[in-house]
Amino acid sequence: MDRWLVALVCSCVVFGIVMIDSASSVWALDRFGDAHFFSKRQAIFAVAGIFLMLFLANYNYWQWKKYAWFVYGGGILLLILVLIPGVGLVRNGSQSWLGVGPLSLQPSEFAKIGVLLLLAKNLEESRHPVTHFRKGMAPHLFLLLIPFGIVMLQPDLGTGTVILGTGLALLFLAGAPYRFFAGLIFLGIAGFAALIISAPYRLQRIVSYLDPWEDPLGAGFQMIQSLYAIGPGALFGFGLGESRQKYFYLPEPQNDFIFAIVGEELGFFGGVLLLLMFSAIVWRGIIIALHAPDQFGQLLAGGIVLMIGIQVMINVAVVIGLIPVTGITLPFMSYGGSSLVLVLLSCGILLNISKNKKTL
Amino acid sequence: MKKITNRMVKKRLALALLLFLTGIVILSGRMFIVQFISHDTLLKKALSSWSRELPMEAERGLIYDRNGEPIVTNKLAPSLFIIPRQIEDRKAAAEMLAEVLEMPLEKAVEFVERKGSMEKLHPEGRKLSFEQVRQIEKAELKGIYIADDFERQYPNGRSLAHVLGFIGVDNQGLSGLELMHDKMLNGEKGAIELYTDAKGRDMEDMSANYNQPEKGNDLYLTIDQDIQSILERELTNAQIQYEPDQMLAVAMNPKTGEILGMASRPDFHPLTYQDANPDIYNRILPVWSTYEPGSTFKIITLAAALEEGKVDLENEQFYDSGSVEIAGTHLHCWKREGHGQQTFLEVVQNSCNPGFIELGNRLGKEKLFEYIHNFGFGDKTGVDLQGEASGILFSLDNVGPLELATTAFGQGVSVTPIQQITAVSAAINGGHLPTPHIAKKWVNGDTGEVIKEIEPEIKRQVISEETSKKVREALETVVAQGTGRGAYVENYRVGGKTGTAQKVKDGRYMDDSYIVSFIGFAPSDDPELIVYIAIDHPKNTVQFGGVVAAPIVGNILEDGLRTLGVEPRKTQVEKSVRWLDPVTYKVPDLIGVTTKELKDMLLPLKLEVEGTGPKVIEQSPKANVTVNEGTTVRVMMGGGE
Repeated sequence: MDRWLVALVCSCVVFGIVMIDSASSVWALDRFGDAHFFSKRQAIFAVAGIFLMLFLANYNYWQWKKYAWFVYGGGILLLILVLIPGVGLVRNGSQSWLGVGPLSLQPSEFAKIGVLLLLAKNLEESRHPVTHFRKGMAPHLFLLLIPFGIVMLQPDLGTGTVILGTGLALLFLAGAPYRFFAGLIFLGIAGFAALIISAPYRLQRIVSYLDPWEDPLGAGFQMIQSLYAIGPGALFGFGLGESRQKYFYLPEPQNDFIFAIVGEELGFFGGVLLLLMFSAIVWRGIIIALHAPDQFGQLLAGGIVLMIGIQVMINVAVVIGLIPVTGITLPFMSYGGSSLVLVLLSCGILLNISKNKKTL
Repeated sequence: MKKITNRMVKKRLALALLLFLTGIVILSGRMFIVQFISHDTLLKKALSSWSRELPMEAERGLIYDRNGEPIVTNKLAPSLFIIPRQIEDRKAAAEMLAEVLEMPLEKAVEFVERKGSMEKLHPEGRKLSFEQVRQIEKAELKGIYIADDFERQYPNGRSLAHVLGFIGVDNQGLSGLELMHDKMLNGEKGAIELYTDAKGRDMEDMSANYNQPEKGNDLYLTIDQDIQSILERELTNAQIQYEPDQMLAVAMNPKTGEILGMASRPDFHPLTYQDANPDIYNRILPVWSTYEPGSTFKIITLAAALEEGKVDLENEQFYDSGSVEIAGTHLHCWKREGHGQQTFLEVVQNSCNPGFIELGNRLGKEKLFEYIHNFGFGDKTGVDLQGEASGILFSLDNVGPLELATTAFGQGVSVTPIQQITAVSAAINGGHLPTPHIAKKWVNGDTGEVIKEIEPEIKRQVISEETSKKVREALETVVAQGTGRGAYVENYRVGGKTGTAQKVKDGRYMDDSYIVSFIGFAPSDDPELIVYIAIDHPKNTVQFGGVVAAPIVGNILEDGLRTLGVEPRKTQVEKSVRWLDPVTYKVPDLIGVTTKELKDMLLPLKLEVEGTGPKVIEQSPKANVTVNEGTTVRVMMGGGE
């Protein structure tokens, strides 16, 4: 078992709880009368998640093949369920939560695992190379686009992007030709151009969306508040617990924008340190994938680690103002039970793959 | 056959790691930009987003007279601000504010319930008194703030109000010098930056930041407050005595053009300007009003004729029959029967119209108008006051014999008081036409360092020193021996000239309405002070400059010269009665005389007019009674249909 990975993951989770405690204290005190409301809950999920991770580390990963369709189908089912009015809960403009009382979960998180498992299994078992578009590629794309489409209906652009990205990453690992990705990029640009030509005002919208200062109280609000946190942080930040933006300026600072609070309190130093920890996790994950005994293990390990990597990339890029706000959690760090438990569960699978590594 | 080779997957895994690490480098680079390169701008913006500014008004610059006597000062009058979110007990706060600010409870409740981040209350919460501030601070309620603000103070009340102007509730200059020099007088606003969370509550761990306001610059005027007070006093007295429509007085240093005093009526108090008619507070009459100057204008004709060598005052004779015919029109002397045979000096002393027509004719229209323009008429003087008019002159092409004649004795031209006093200054100060001005220097309000000093300016030389000396001497005899006797001051060698001009309304002369004026200066050997007074339609008197305006100028000169510390002179032209009048005077028969005729008679008597009507129906003393000069004669007006 990869002890480095366990150590890195646990450090990230603890770091996350500390940051959540700081970031959410003002908010939690105001809302629930308990400054540690969010951090306590996150700690409980963390303990449960780490136990789950260690448990799954001992569960042979190839067994998952049996449940791949089941997990995938279950995920789709929950995704549909969440869209039914009265069943799904709307939070922050997306109908993406299922829940009773204080317990709620995000089915899209499960759908991610379903897609990973099923695509890894199918790619290994496929009789046609992915270079063959109709037979080797199209079936996988089809399975990928179903959950993606449903998630986009919620609408949850962020999770949709992660699902699509993770699926495409698996196809990439499986050897999809570069022209396929070139085609995707071309398709994207063409669709974009078509939209602009059909209605030129959209260009203006996109431009203003990319420039938060155009609309500081509307679309640009979160991004500007995020930059107000990070920018003043400089090299070492204001110090742990010293954030000012958490005083209601940055909305829900313990969620998607927790990296902004890291930048504010711990500065460039803290932010880069965290990015290095993520790099180390991805690096360990790739090593595990390289040493996996079979192709399913390779693809699954690679997929899991790239899923984490893609989320980190997108989340941080949003927080530091490189791309428009999408709404993706930072793995291990952001507050949220579903997100934390699922990423730890994935790490459990990863650890089991590392346990079964092939001696080269 | 395996469709996916392990080699391919491994290659792609390595590539994916490379891509990811590249991404991390890009993200780190972006963080470097945000946290170091954009750090300052973001921090500045963030700080302003965290803080609520409690505005601290800057103290406006003070205004002083030439000797450093304060004319306009300030009093601390703070404003009330609230951050509604921070108020814990809204009911108590509303009740306290309602009581201290003396307003209805409903209004106070509405105020504390407001949603803004920082709210002020107008007008109850502005310009608070010390007592109110003390009570508010004693209540020690959270969320209520007191911010510095000031209120103008006028130690001399209404004095100089037109010139000074006034400011609005936001300390912005609205008229007069306050408006004209708003930028210089205004200081730099400061603020206390209170750090709050996004909901407006105090962030306890961040201390407030104080940006000290910067006081505005102090303005020193050329005004001498003592002379100003004399002007105001004399106008107030004249107001009571004559109840005129309007009045104005200007005192100036004739050598430098420095305005020493400037007053007019009706007036207003700068703190309650809203109670006055805007025409009153928007017009500085001495620079704004234009009217026929009347005989004071003859000084210009005299100066021109002397400079051009067209007349020998002592030795040349002139016969005045009482009228002269010009281009078919009979122009009368103000004295119907005429002044008879006289020297030209007597022409000046008697203010004899036909005599000045003769001088005008000798000069010719080109020369006369050249001098008029040179003396500054027809152009703004450039005085540093707002609303200056330029007056109206005949254009040379339209000047025929009649226009030349009337212009020579001050009719048919329209000038401003400031033009007149400036032009006469040039005529008597050695021929140098000054630019009148009222701002003397600017001083940094905090350090006392002089920022700018306004030096007196001479526009041009209009006549020679020698001619100027002759003009002074001639005008001294006007006061000592002619129409200006009312302005005579023992030992101070006063020179001067009367003026009486019929008012014009809708292009026609008004029957019974005159602007009487007098311009006087002293000492005539070396003039230090020149005073001009104009009284629009005085009542209860003959409307004649020599009777109404000259004594006022005499009073002002006497007190003013003493104030300025001017040495009394040992010799002067003795006050004389040689030419015009015996010491005693036979009261003429006034019964049946019209108001206008009464005026034209220029009686050396004080007239007390009673009743209304076109003609005199009764007089006391009766006709042919011999009385001393200056005796009061009461006439009863009446008659008519």
